[in-house]
Amino acid sequence: MPSQLTRAGLWLLLICMLLAVPHGLSFSQQEILVFLTINVLVVTSYRLLALTGEWSLGHVVIMGVGAYASALASKELGIAVPVAMITGALTAALVAFGLSYPLFRMKGFYFLIGSFAAGEIIRLLWKRFRDPFGGPKGIKKIEPMPDFDIVIWRFDFFEPVSYYYFCLVVVGLSLWIMWRIEKSPLGLTFHAIHWQDKLAESAGINVRAYKTLAFVIASGFSGLAGALLAHYIGTINPNSFDLEQMVFVLTWTIVGGTATFFGPILGCAALVILNEIVLREFGFEQGRPLIYGFVLILSVLFLPRGLEGLLQDFTGALRGRGRQGSRQ
Amino acid sequence: MIELLAQTGLNSLYAAAYLSLVAVGLVLIFGVMGVINFAHGELFMLGAYVVVALYSGFGVPYILVAAIGLIFVGCIGILMEFTIFRPLRDSPLGGLVASIGFLLIAQALVSMGFGVRMEHVPPVTQEVIVFSEKVRLPLQRLFVILAAVMFLSLLWIFLRRTRFGWALRASAQDAEAAALQGISIRQTSLIAMFVGAGLAGIAGVLTAPLISVGPHMGHAVIVAAFIVIIVGGIGSLEGAIVASVAYAFIHTIVTTFWDGVIADITGLSLMLLVLIVRPTGLFGTTDRA
Amino acid sequence: MNVTSSILSVRDLGMSFGGVKAVDGLSLSVERGAIHGLIGPNGAGKTTTFNVISGYYTPSEGEVLFQGDRISGLPMYEVARRGVVRTFQHSTLFAEMTVLENALVGTHLAHRPKLAAAVAGLDKRDRNAALEKARAALDYFGLLSTADSRAGDLSHGHQRALGLAVAMASGPEVLLLDEPFTGMNPEETRTMMGLMEKLRDSGRTILIVEHDMRAIMGLCDRITVMNFGKLLTHGRPHEIRSHPEVISAYLGSARNVA
Repeated sequence: MPSQLTRAGLWLLLICMLLAVPHGLSFSQQEILVFLTINVLVVTSYRLLALTGEWSLGHVVIMGVGAYASALASKELGIAVPVAMITGALTAALVAFGLSYPLFRMKGFYFLIGSFAAGEIIRLLWKRFRDPFGGPKGIKKIEPMPDFDIVIWRFDFFEPVSYYYFCLVVVGLSLWIMWRIEKSPLGLTFHAIHWQDKLAESAGINVRAYKTLAFVIASGFSGLAGALLAHYIGTINPNSFDLEQMVFVLTWTIVGGTATFFGPILGCAALVILNEIVLREFGFEQGRPLIYGFVLILSVLFLPRGLEGLLQDFTGALRGRGRQGSRQ
Repeated sequence: MIELLAQTGLNSLYAAAYLSLVAVGLVLIFGVMGVINFAHGELFMLGAYVVVALYSGFGVPYILVAAIGLIFVGCIGILMEFTIFRPLRDSPLGGLVASIGFLLIAQALVSMGFGVRMEHVPPVTQEVIVFSEKVRLPLQRLFVILAAVMFLSLLWIFLRRTRFGWALRASAQDAEAAALQGISIRQTSLIAMFVGAGLAGIAGVLTAPLISVGPHMGHAVIVAAFIVIIVGGIGSLEGAIVASVAYAFIHTIVTTFWDGVIADITGLSLMLLVLIVRPTGLFGTTDRA
Repeated sequence: MNVTSSILSVRDLGMSFGGVKAVDGLSLSVERGAIHGLIGPNGAGKTTTFNVISGYYTPSEGEVLFQGDRISGLPMYEVARRGVVRTFQHSTLFAEMTVLENALVGTHLAHRPKLAAAVAGLDKRDRNAALEKARAALDYFGLLSTADSRAGDLSHGHQRALGLAVAMASGPEVLLLDEPFTGMNPEETRTMMGLMEKLRDSGRTILIVEHDMRAIMGLCDRITVMNFGKLLTHGRPHEIRSHPEVISAYLGSARNVA
């Protein structure tokens, strides 16, 4: 157990590293760093729902709800971008709350299929209603984040580095909140529902209400991630949030492993880096779905606890207590 | 009005024909193996690309292409059984997720081999049966309908009259009891995968000359198939066929009078409604969670 | 039977599954502070009755009253909130969580998690109180030394005790125990019986569903016997033991099994 001081030191080191990372990178790599930061929020929020044992195929569409709501709020209603982003997050949470009524009548893969159907309906609504969603072409020229100064640093949001710092703060704060939730009695309740929902209910836990709570919180953060994305890339359409994107999120989460908070983040970072460095270097970028497909299958087959589990086994072995990591 | 309705009826009969081939395969696989094959739309897509490769590419006779398509896609099904479903037998959700991985791989390989642009297969026949000025049925569509009826009848005979079919039905009802009866789950799973995938493949072969063929064409098909198997009662073959016909009819009507996207939304909402009211479907008795 | 001292009563209960009546016109009454046994041969409908009382099923007919209020038809968590908490057959636990965490789940009712307070760190007092309550429940069942072990790694007897501790941590008025002695060796059975007597003496009411007659005879104050979904008889253990119909019901079922 590291002491308070070393822990603070480690955190400081991590923050310095996160701040320094973009300066060694090319422009396009900096852009990827922004997407990676946003995706970390997506997978972490995805895991929050997975804590209760339910797997959704609608998470990316909910992210899109946040993106659409934030884009429309700033474009049509003239709301300032940071406020619009919060509006986006709240809209996503609200939509999730509405969906929870039908969806949590189902469990297991009925929930999976149900969430997929609900997501498809939302996507089709975007496609069908040109006003206000812009139809298949979506929304273009979304307001960028306005520039501002903090002491000496000028935040020019056409610069990926500035937007990366902005995302770092927003995502960092969101992660902290989700971390606090997981480590609280609330997190324990989610775990309890996952392992034995009937026993949890006999202890007085309203299982459906807590699943709904997890779903709503997860969706709010996913919507926030969508808003961050929308105001950065400036254009969104129904296909930005299709099944393929969902499969990427699923792959990151499963490859990383859901047993701990950092698993999905690890999976996301590892695969994005693999993708951007290896595939792009070798000019094999259109092979991304192929690689993801193989990685997904292989990790379901051979890494039931994900990369994170592998890492645990590894560090466990180093410390001579490899057996602890082998518990299911 | 009568004519419009008659035409809509013919159109939906055609849609029901290929949809039920896909859905019945999906149900068969679910029944025997307890897993939802998310890549089933891609098996349909592969069937269509067999036509692109052999029929448009080399001019192989269509009937021969159909036979090759059935066997080829059936073998892909066997490949899936060996590589993902068998190792993940104890984890239906794991099997489902792995099949999503397979979906990506199939799409990516086809995109690399054929490109992502839409292919148009030359028509096998241009002939049209004209009932009246507004009611007409292209011969190719009639062919799809007749072939679907034939394959579904063959499947019925196979399930009811052969020993393999009996084993398949037994393990769909109760895998453990079937195992006690000496039925090998490995064997029935292989047969179910071959037959289920082959049916999806033949559906792809049959419709390829009538629609535009692309690597992502499986998506619309799997969504429709999900709707049909949920509404028809997951696990029920008859339910899937009845639901296919009903869904195709509703979808075609809504498409004719409003538009296609509204029709899709209607279908998905119907499915959600069924899931809410009766998670096992309208005809289903199998309760698996 | 003295109505005023009754804490839990079942009136004209009926439960059918697809036309088959598993329970038919059952009435029973559990006295406050008693250990009450519900027994009967296999298929007598006692487990179904148990599941109706705990809110797992909604009865087709009749009602269940707790302190005069109707609880039948309420969801299980609501029944628990009123003060009637059940355990499960076998060793149903949160096997992947630690023993202490299991007990903490049990404190859910007294200390409901609050989202904003949890994030802001303003629920320290609640958390500490819950922790104390959970530790007390573990201590009560002699499990405190295992607090940090994984629940699934405990011995069979300890797992059963933990099941009781989880139920106890929610501070129920009435404990419903589903076949608590099944699969236990004589020593574990004795320990478990001691724990139950201790619980009763602390003022709890206990309703036990059990197939095994012997275990229950020495423990219960009152016994209700069911057969074929109906009430056969009820009374004190010595009355039940010598009741001719009870004997023939058990013998009959034993013969059927053999």
